[in-house]
Amino acid sequence: MTTNAKSAETAKGAKGAQSAKDGVAAEVRDLILALADSKRLLGYRYAEWMLGAPELETGIALSSMAQDEWGHARLLYALLKDVEDVDALEHGRKPMEYRNVAVLDEPTGSWADTVALMALVDVALSVQFDALRSSSYEPLRQRVEKLLEEERFHAAHGAAWFRRLATGTDASRAAMRQAAERVMEPVLQWFGRDEGVGGALAEDGVVNGAPSSLRKRFLERVSPLLEAVGLRDAYGDESPDFAGFDEGRRRTGGGGPDASTIERIRGDRNRAFLMD
Amino acid sequence: MIFEVFARKSRGEPLRHIGNLNAPDPELARVYAFNTYDEERWFDMWVVAREHLQEVFTVDRGEPVAAE
Repeated sequence: MTTNAKSAETAKGAKGAQSAKDGVAAEVRDLILALADSKRLLGYRYAEWMLGAPELETGIALSSMAQDEWGHARLLYALLKDVEDVDALEHGRKPMEYRNVAVLDEPTGSWADTVALMALVDVALSVQFDALRSSSYEPLRQRVEKLLEEERFHAAHGAAWFRRLATGTDASRAAMRQAAERVMEPVLQWFGRDEGVGGALAEDGVVNGAPSSLRKRFLERVSPLLEAVGLRDAYGDESPDFAGFDEGRRRTGGGGPDASTIERIRGDRNRAFLMD
Repeated sequence: MIFEVFARKSRGEPLRHIGNLNAPDPELARVYAFNTYDEERWFDMWVVAREHLQEVFTVDRGEPVAAE
């Protein structure tokens, strides 16, 4: 395994002369794409609720969050610019090449589902970013602080709505519980396996904890929310079911973003208007 | 519930009223204030429920309210 910080330095010094393998270690590329694709999809899901959210103000917040997520995705893809065609990454990939958290494949069906994305999925991504604060891969480490600062408000927004639905009516509580259950398993899987890519990233000092440790941090962080919908004990220390787990794509069961989502996030219909 | 939003550009400057918003509780009011009014660079920002503002007096409504 190559030392990622060292190879990134080399890439900087000899721009263009590096293959993907030399410039950024394969498992770091996997991590960057897993984060970038999740952020891009998450931003799109937030944008879908800019109109039609329960309050005007929450729609405004979602539009701001969507901007944040797309900004984060952009800077993450750009980390690969010395070793890969970023334009092709952003606009040329097929659904099965995306590495987003699986629950982002389709539009959210209800407001509670959207709240679960804010309060649980977005927070899971932040737990992964938080584990990069002291990363041996410097380009990523440098970008973490500002990103997490923006994420504070995403988490606050999500948690406030989560609690509001959890303590509202019987129906809103049931909807919130169901929405939380929908995302938890895929999110816990997304952190990965200790004996897989995630474990290698920890060994190399790219991430400051193995997947099982990140899962634990995530569960600790969201336990007050899970408790509010009676799910605190539903997700323990044992690993999720990893049967059929795809290491690169961080999911079981295959699948990918649906056709309409892919068309929108790649900007397919607007490509004709690019004049360069 | 209506919340009034206050902010200032720099330390020591008086707080300035910059707008209001609708939110069900103070927690969401803080989030909405941040997302709605963060276009400019503020030193700090505050929200207060309109119902918690106490009128001291308003000139065209007659005499100032004296302490009991």
